[in-house]
Amino acid sequence: MNFELTNEQQMLQDSVARFIHDNYDLESRAKSAASKSGFSQDHWQTMADLGWLGLGFDEADGGFGGGHVDIMLLMEQFGKGLVLEPLLASVILGGGALKRGACAELKTEILPGLIDGSRQLALAYAEEQAHFDLHDVITTARSKDDGFIINGHKSMVLHAGTADQIVVSARTSGGQIDENGISLFLIDADAEGVKRENFPTVDGLQACEITLKDVIVGSNRLLGELDHGFAILNSVATDAILALSAEAVGAMEILYKDTVEYTQQREQFDHPLADFQVLQHRMVEMFMEYEQCKSLLYRATMEAAQGSATTQRTAHALKHLVGKAGIFIAENAVQLHGGMGMTEELRIGHYLKRMIVIDAQFGNADYHLQKFAA
Amino acid sequence: MDIELGPEDLAFREDVHEFFAENAYQAGEDYNVWRLEWFKKAAEKGGWDVPKWSKEFGGPGWTPTQHYIWEQETASATLPWDMPFGIGMVAPIIMAHGNEEQQKRFLPDIRARKVNWCQGYSEPGAGSDLAALKTKAVLSEDGTHYTVNGTKIWTTMAQIADWIFCLTRTDDSGIKQEGITFLLFPMKQEGIEVKPIITLGGAHSVNMVYFTDVSVPVENRIGEEGKGWTYAKGLLQHERTGLAGISRSIVALEKLKEQASSVKRGNGSLMDEPSFRAKVAELEIDLMASEYTELRSLASASAGSAPGPESSILKLKGTEIQQRIAKLTVEAGGIYSAAWGRGVGHKFAKAGMGGYLASRAFTIYGGASEVQKDVIAKNVLGLKRSTT
Repeated sequence: MNFELTNEQQMLQDSVARFIHDNYDLESRAKSAASKSGFSQDHWQTMADLGWLGLGFDEADGGFGGGHVDIMLLMEQFGKGLVLEPLLASVILGGGALKRGACAELKTEILPGLIDGSRQLALAYAEEQAHFDLHDVITTARSKDDGFIINGHKSMVLHAGTADQIVVSARTSGGQIDENGISLFLIDADAEGVKRENFPTVDGLQACEITLKDVIVGSNRLLGELDHGFAILNSVATDAILALSAEAVGAMEILYKDTVEYTQQREQFDHPLADFQVLQHRMVEMFMEYEQCKSLLYRATMEAAQGSATTQRTAHALKHLVGKAGIFIAENAVQLHGGMGMTEELRIGHYLKRMIVIDAQFGNADYHLQKFAA
Repeated sequence: MDIELGPEDLAFREDVHEFFAENAYQAGEDYNVWRLEWFKKAAEKGGWDVPKWSKEFGGPGWTPTQHYIWEQETASATLPWDMPFGIGMVAPIIMAHGNEEQQKRFLPDIRARKVNWCQGYSEPGAGSDLAALKTKAVLSEDGTHYTVNGTKIWTTMAQIADWIFCLTRTDDSGIKQEGITFLLFPMKQEGIEVKPIITLGGAHSVNMVYFTDVSVPVENRIGEEGKGWTYAKGLLQHERTGLAGISRSIVALEKLKEQASSVKRGNGSLMDEPSFRAKVAELEIDLMASEYTELRSLASASAGSAPGPESSILKLKGTEIQQRIAKLTVEAGGIYSAAWGRGVGHKFAKAGMGGYLASRAFTIYGGASEVQKDVIAKNVLGLKRSTT
């Protein structure tokens, strides 16, 4: 039993922490968010240069062979800075589908650019009627000549506005909610028939609504086997849950620590707020929830690293706890900061917004509780 | 015990209902013309433009039951936009503690919605501990005017306000609740600077307000010097009961059910999901109880006694319920609640997120929940104030 980081992991954690500390103050973040791409191209290049975009890929695929623990360490630090760059969308979602489903040729074509930061991917899985079900897919891909024709509408596609290619889930057979009959395709973002409507999300990131009208894609762009895309999608979603949860745990740490610090400085009724027992207990609860999330995050990450059969169930547990605890911690951080917590000027509220969005991504607390209990 | 509305109350309800229906805003109408016309017609009904004013000052002089009916009916009708600061907040203080000349000078313009007011209470160092306020007002030697210096914070709509009612410190030698003086003065004058504070949804409604040597004639002081805290405190209690918003929440919960029913899940909707349904049910049960808590509170007011212990929990319960409804709306929006700047997916999702973010302030302003509980512990349960 050992929770110590290896030297390499410690170095990675230190280097990400330093990057966040040096670059991610609230004002710089707001500036990047307001730019056209919605994030900093310079930071993106730095992340590539430092090897972070290749962490999740095998050396054979041109990556750096890092594992789930490395991604967890990276994302936890990202959570502390509310990082805007599209690592989740491009590397974990788009790249995750590619590394699992693409043939050797396609990997050689796409992955080097993805890892060196010159190419950006996105994953279009959600549809309006689907709520959080990955297997609820109406978008169709019809086989024609040596390829497919895709028609449909994909929703809330994270960072698709700046993506070069988009992985799309489409129905190639079966009924609307069948797990079988879903296939994944890699399409060019600017292919004919692809219409992207870009908009900001409440947490300062960006997403697209995508309309696909008679989009032609070659059969060499099919990821995995025909009709069997769901397993890939599901396993990418588990990675996304681990990454988002790590990010949330990083954000929780900032929230509870900022609150402890603020209540020690702010005086009301001739005492620092932190002297009041009712507030002390509240902060203890925030701290406890954070530690519990961290424990479950470690558990899920270790299980994923070992390829354990229980990984998915633990991921359900994790996403439930993180969603619930994250909002609890963030709402109380706002409450204990009083009116100041309600302002854009303080970082607390920005973490609350991110926490709400994290809960809504890849299934909220309720959804995963039901999956876990099933 | 009897909860049946009498024939007079039923007739009143019918009357109110009809008035709202007849005077509802019609698409295409000039909003401002409609708004002022609405208040005029409401005034003709016998003070319906100022429901909470007493008969003496031109209000309707309703019974508590009639107020309750009015509140219930307003929750589902569209009333003209109105700011609470004039009609609901400063006017009652002027009526209770102002002199006749002040009443003649200020009340008609307030009633005609001619003057926008804002409230200068909180300060950077005086939030929950409002009595710690430091904005200084110094009386001139000849006793004709005060000179005001200091900073106010969270001043809602200060950017459009014509006048401010303001708590200032005229004496800091005694306990902090003493030595506070209630002043009224115009906002558009030398020495007043308004700086916006942007809140979580990106909205600008609250401000910092800086006073530098603002001159206020002594005629603009309400009541006695040093008694301002007592005047303001009465109003705060009034404000707090008003913040509970039980009737509005009942309407909001119905809307939430409709919204959740429009979100498809499999062959049914989100409203068919047992866990979501259970949360809505819990809310509804809390609301059913709160509605009667409010009625009990009204009944004791109607009997002329002081508000009972039940009224103290209304702000706490009411704001908590409003927050839970807002949060469930975000949950119902699913991933679409994250979309910002335009509506995507479920139609209600964007407003839902804005509403949720704004709702986080409900347990902070008008007396934070933690402070409210202190007040109940002390005043209702008779407990000693804890050492910290």
